[in-house]
Amino acid sequence: MRYRIHHTTSLRYDGVVRLARLNLRLKPALWPGQRVENFALKLDPPPAEIEAGDGPWIVHRHRVILREALSELSIESRFDIEVSEPALSPDDAGAPDIGSIRAAALTLPDLSPMGPASYLFASPMAPPSTAIAEWAAPFLAADQSVLAAGHALMKAIHESFAYDGTATSVTTTAQDAFEQKRGVCQDFAHVMIVAARAHGIPAAYVSGYLRTLPPPGQPRLVGADAMHAWAALWCGQAIGWVGFDPTNDVLAGTDHIFVAMGRDYADIAPIDGVFLGGAGQNLSVSVDVEPVED
Amino acid sequence: MDWLKDYPVDVDAGDLFRHAPPEVAAKWRMMADGLHTLAQDSGLSAQELLARQIADMGMSFRMTGDAEERSWPLTPMPLIVGAQEWAKVEAGLIQRARLLEAVVGDIYGPQDLVREGHIPAAVVAGSRYFARAMGGVLPRRGHYIHVYAVDLARGPHGQWRVLGDRLRLANGVGYALENRLALSRGTGSLLSDIHARRLAGFFGQLRQGLSADCPRESPRIALLTPGRFNQSYPEQAHLARYLGFPLVEGRDLSVIDGKLYVRTIGGPKRVDALWRWIDTNSLDPLNFDARSTIGVPDLADCWTGGQVAMANWPGVEVVEAPAFAAFLPRLFQTLLGEDPLLPNVATWWCGGEAEADLVRGRLDELMVAPAFGQRVEGLAAVQPAHGAQLTPEAREALLAAMARRPMDYCAQEIINLSTTPALIDDRFEPRPFTLRAFVARGADGEWVVMPGGFARLSSSGKIASTLMGEGDLSADVCVVDEADEERFSRVTLTGAPAIRRDGGVLAAQAADNLFWFGRYGERAEMTVRVVRSILGGGIEVDAGASGHPEVRARLVDLLANWGALAPDHSALSPAEACRAALVEQGLPGGVAALLNTQRNVGQSLRDRFAPDFWRIASRPLPLLDSHRPGVLLRMARELIERFAALSGLGAEDMVRGPAWRFLDMGRRIERALSLCRIARQLEGAGEESDRLNTLLDIFDSQITYRSRYLSAPLRDPVYDLLLLDPDNPRSLVHQVQAIERHIAALPSLREDALPEAPLREVRAVLAPLISLTVDQFDGQRMAEIELRLQALSDSISARYFLQFDAAVAGRTPLQG
Repeated sequence: MRYRIHHTTSLRYDGVVRLARLNLRLKPALWPGQRVENFALKLDPPPAEIEAGDGPWIVHRHRVILREALSELSIESRFDIEVSEPALSPDDAGAPDIGSIRAAALTLPDLSPMGPASYLFASPMAPPSTAIAEWAAPFLAADQSVLAAGHALMKAIHESFAYDGTATSVTTTAQDAFEQKRGVCQDFAHVMIVAARAHGIPAAYVSGYLRTLPPPGQPRLVGADAMHAWAALWCGQAIGWVGFDPTNDVLAGTDHIFVAMGRDYADIAPIDGVFLGGAGQNLSVSVDVEPVED
Repeated sequence: MDWLKDYPVDVDAGDLFRHAPPEVAAKWRMMADGLHTLAQDSGLSAQELLARQIADMGMSFRMTGDAEERSWPLTPMPLIVGAQEWAKVEAGLIQRARLLEAVVGDIYGPQDLVREGHIPAAVVAGSRYFARAMGGVLPRRGHYIHVYAVDLARGPHGQWRVLGDRLRLANGVGYALENRLALSRGTGSLLSDIHARRLAGFFGQLRQGLSADCPRESPRIALLTPGRFNQSYPEQAHLARYLGFPLVEGRDLSVIDGKLYVRTIGGPKRVDALWRWIDTNSLDPLNFDARSTIGVPDLADCWTGGQVAMANWPGVEVVEAPAFAAFLPRLFQTLLGEDPLLPNVATWWCGGEAEADLVRGRLDELMVAPAFGQRVEGLAAVQPAHGAQLTPEAREALLAAMARRPMDYCAQEIINLSTTPALIDDRFEPRPFTLRAFVARGADGEWVVMPGGFARLSSSGKIASTLMGEGDLSADVCVVDEADEERFSRVTLTGAPAIRRDGGVLAAQAADNLFWFGRYGERAEMTVRVVRSILGGGIEVDAGASGHPEVRARLVDLLANWGALAPDHSALSPAEACRAALVEQGLPGGVAALLNTQRNVGQSLRDRFAPDFWRIASRPLPLLDSHRPGVLLRMARELIERFAALSGLGAEDMVRGPAWRFLDMGRRIERALSLCRIARQLEGAGEESDRLNTLLDIFDSQITYRSRYLSAPLRDPVYDLLLLDPDNPRSLVHQVQAIERHIAALPSLREDALPEAPLREVRAVLAPLISLTVDQFDGQRMAEIELRLQALSDSISARYFLQFDAAVAGRTPLQG
């Protein structure tokens, strides 16, 4: 599939801010099965400095500095991307069981951001939770195939949690969302990550875009979408990382456009940073995922 | 007399004194006898002698969860270790420091150790201090570690073992220094008599090791603190003062073009090195944890450019995870080609299948602990738990949790601690101990070990990872030589420093705090003076409870305007109002609250105040056991004496640098404002003579007035004395002139030599005061001056202090 992505974030500050320094993690990092073309980033007002680089997770980061005083800022990114179907078929019978995954994650000598070791442990927004671990235990027995377990866990989250854009915020931890049983894609991904890690499965947070299909007979609404997030489980060296989208109860396939992977939201937040002055800020986002005919 | 004669001989656990070689045992006796003699000569116990030193030095600490600081529990008898025994410890520590340096260098460099299977990837990734972003970022001279603290245990046969490595924070290094200061001050020449090695050389080396790594000559090294609410803040403040490093918070610092600057009253000044007391994760919100409010945005740019040396390099704390101890012993051979001289406590990481099996099988013989120093399922605490002491249910829960996440656990052998003689009441008892030792990199980049350290004597015999537990004692550690070592002090070691005279860097934030420390103190003093006047404490023979009732009522109203009384105070008698203004905590402008706020502001200035000054400033309010006016008056007088003592110490002890200037400016601007307000408040009240007497009384000018005029107080002579006479140190013009001198002496940011705004403001206040005569001063003019003084204060803060948004500033405004 080919897509054209257009993502605009508008920030409005209550007062005048100076020296805004931001991290933008909007350009898709290198990821198997994806090819990015024509990436363009535009800021208004334009930044004094901009610098691009990869890491330290599977993430591409633009560092921007705006020196002029400002009260509004718009950040716009556009790119074309080709996404091919993952090699894995969802009912892969040869997937290892959870016990073997755990053992493999602990012995594989790989400290890279693609390796499993870095995704085994607590992270700032996904600290361990006894409640989540116990809730998830029935789906995650050691002899269960990791893919089947991932499916069961994803389905359970999809069924027990209500999608509610007002219940949580970007700083909500997995535990808080779990207690409320509601939240958005970020919260569901965090819950899935905490659950999987509690049983020794390496689990990562993925940010990206989702192609949304309009109801039959209706046109696609331009700019109605937001960024999306899901979880990825490490399913052994042969299979690698598999994306599980608990918000929609589907595996990440050609409808999912990968942008970045880290331990949790905080590692790969699309926009964060510091500025001087101004008390509050108001943020509005418009995302358009347009399928392009070949 | 041999005080140690009755010390139990039969100590199964092994004992530092009993099993010491004869020449070292002789030093123990000499020390014990010396303490005994000191105690007898002074009529105090050795403990009390030392407690006085500690109180004098203002030593304190906080336990986790404590709001208030506690006084420091130091036992008079140090641990005495012979030079021979120490030489082995020293060699082992240096070897270990070399190893850790090599391991850290590999983890943030080529990562061969992980790739070749010497360290599992999960052991590195499991630590929350593994800083992935530091990969490939090299320190300029390749030194990752500058300061290293290590906990040691001594076994029953005198064998030393490493219990844990500490690279994140060298907690205790300041307390080791303070313990030594207190002990040497409290025991005369005793420490020299037993030939205890000095600590000063170690700190000199630490300092030079850091400066050697800085890109500039005569570098500026700052101690980066998380702030005064941090548990070890008193220790950090003490170290900064001792080493002469500015104590800075993240918000004092900023990064400009990849270089680090501290914001000072003279503009930004370069900082070349940081001794950080902040976790790596909190150091830079743009490159690590975005939620950190104590770090410095873009600090990481200074590391990649080699512009700032760090003690320690960010990310080094990854190796202090207990799980690492399972792999370090083998790495001595792998990396150094040497056998370890000083073993660490035997450790098994359960992330390995064979190790997990072994731990499950031998659970009763082992201690189980979280592998990465954070709470985990199945263990109640971060401290190691003895497997044999788990209840069957707890054991089952632990095993189940270990099956799910084996990598979170490690097990350690059980260590028996040897004992040391501790003075309990008036006799020596054996107490188990652990010792925290300190290693630093010296001027030539080689490692040096502090000849001593920080000993913790346990009340329970348990090993805890915290610095001090409930009921524990701390002790100094003396490494003793046969004969006197060659005396070296910091100065001889470093060579003569270049002569300099400035007051060091005054960070903008410190200037702000000093200014407000002065203002709060002066406001408290003015409030007490008003109270004294209401109560009739002046020298007027027949004033009784101060003069005219209307004058008194006006003063009570003034207290209410200042927030020292609740707005609805009409039901209170004057004495009740005075009591409330002095002691009630809930009144924002009351003396109790003002002193409290002043003390809080002062906390962050601890490195700048002499201990005597701080002791008086932080003394609690005197107890008030009655509501009678006489008692209240006594309290007011006591407080005024205390304010006098503080300003005396400030005047006599503080170097006339910018710090003193800001403190004094704060005080003077508040005094000037109070004078205007009180004079205006009393205008037209009651009899003129009562009113003027009260003014003279509040501003301590009665005696001068009488020596100058034979008449009863008259308006013009009184106003001239209080407002316009530059020779009267309590007059308005005197305050403003002093402020003008201060501002003129402060550094200017202008290159065109024109006066900056605060100087112009203060001259505008001063102009009428030096050019007009007293009959031209009416209420209107006083009100104008008051407004201009407010504008001056705002102008000072706009020019010299950090500008924060409302959300950040936590300062309560002075009312009225």
